[in-house]
Amino acid sequence: MARIKFIAPSGQQHEINARGGMSIMEAAVQNDVEGIEAECGGGCSCGTCHVYVDPAWVDRLPPRADVEADMLEAVTDSRPESRLTCQVLVNESLDGLVLYLPEQQG
Amino acid sequence: MDQVLLAPRPAHVPPERVVDWDMYSPPGVEDDFHRAWARLLADDVPDVVWTPRNGGHWIAARGALIHEIYGDYKRFSNRIIVVPKEVGEMHHLLPTTLDPPEHRPFRTLLNENLAPKAIRGLEEKIREQAVDLIESFRSQGHCDFIAQYSAEFPIRIFMSIVDLPMTDAPRLKYLTDQITRPDGSMTLAEAKRQYFDYLGPIVDARMGSDRTDMLSRLVNGVVDGRPLTRTEALEITTQIIIAGLDTVVNFLGFVMQFLATDSNHRRQLVANPDLIPAAVEELIRRYPLVTIAREVKEDMEFAGVALKAGEMILIPSPLHGIDPRANKDPFKFDLNRTDSAHTTFGNGPHRCPGANLARTEIRVTMEEWLARIPDFEIEPGFKVRYHGGIVGCVDKLPLIWKP
Repeated sequence: MARIKFIAPSGQQHEINARGGMSIMEAAVQNDVEGIEAECGGGCSCGTCHVYVDPAWVDRLPPRADVEADMLEAVTDSRPESRLTCQVLVNESLDGLVLYLPEQQG
Repeated sequence: MDQVLLAPRPAHVPPERVVDWDMYSPPGVEDDFHRAWARLLADDVPDVVWTPRNGGHWIAARGALIHEIYGDYKRFSNRIIVVPKEVGEMHHLLPTTLDPPEHRPFRTLLNENLAPKAIRGLEEKIREQAVDLIESFRSQGHCDFIAQYSAEFPIRIFMSIVDLPMTDAPRLKYLTDQITRPDGSMTLAEAKRQYFDYLGPIVDARMGSDRTDMLSRLVNGVVDGRPLTRTEALEITTQIIIAGLDTVVNFLGFVMQFLATDSNHRRQLVANPDLIPAAVEELIRRYPLVTIAREVKEDMEFAGVALKAGEMILIPSPLHGIDPRANKDPFKFDLNRTDSAHTTFGNGPHRCPGANLARTEIRVTMEEWLARIPDFEIEPGFKVRYHGGIVGCVDKLPLIWKP
């Protein structure tokens, strides 16, 4: 399990307990985190589970694979700290992770 | 599937890599589907092996490798995903047999229909169907779960999403089974032709219509700025129906077999329904059931063997969740597992777009069943039998309870 906090552009926070082995996206959908749309269900083919990783955490996540990097070129307001949550698996080392939701998905 | 002919071992396959493995009927599958597959995970079996069955093909026999191959379409193509390869050549369904970038626009069409947002709107309907079915036999104190629930429930939901009459479901289910677990009565090409014969007039009627069901939205979809061709429309609708008619159906058999035999966990879930979502995740890890393949794209060294372009490599998803290298004590159902590795829904661009629908159907079934029939068991003396195939299954599951 890992506690992961999502922060909306409005400042509203939503903290979830995510199970190891699921993607962050799946854990977010299961916990009804608003702002994670995940249209493709985790296929890295829609760009609607996009988040900005808190600067303190960017280097602690496994690096982007090519498919994720390609997809992130196509999302609105992509930044160096952008990630697709369907491509990051939860494990205990992510306990305390902070993610910021974008203004708009896709 | 009868596959009497064994392929000769190619010179680049070392003899110590050869196993005798028919994916449609692995040794011991009738007794326990997952323990039968687990034989490939033994320490004395190499990470990648080769079998002369089904045309001769490689098998990735470690969870981590299976996960990697699923995600790596650049080296392992989706062009053919079924063995034997000559049967796989006939398969050609959309978007399953496309690699990116061609895959992307077809996938996008599916995405919007299966996104969590779309599924959330369906949950009430899903729950009604579950309650209806359970109540139809609850007072009798027994049922064959496969025939009376799991063969009905996901199909009813799916047929309503695509707006096809429930009376057509048995025919489609039969054709689907001939693709995923062929019994020899029909070739894959014939099953696909019959699918197209059935769907042809329906696709024709819905193309250009303003109907809002999923089938109509798919056939009226746009790819790369143009409408779908009729063949593409048939290929994508056939694929979506196969996926809707033969996955959750089978998975629920494994779920209920587990709940009927593990009374401690069952009671725990009855007492704490809040644990059901976590239980669904653990069951998804513990009971993966889809076995498909990829076509090797170019000659390469991979995990200690030389793969040649055009060869097939099997990537059995059942092996990941139950690989002891990936999950400690993998046959144990453990709600408190801290890391849980599996490829039950695949990985990469083709990852199951229906995963969220599947999770919802499984969760709702468990919630409604356990609330209504908290205490039940498999009919004493009955031996559960399993079947191998592209999608594994429990043949029959007679359950009894005090009404």
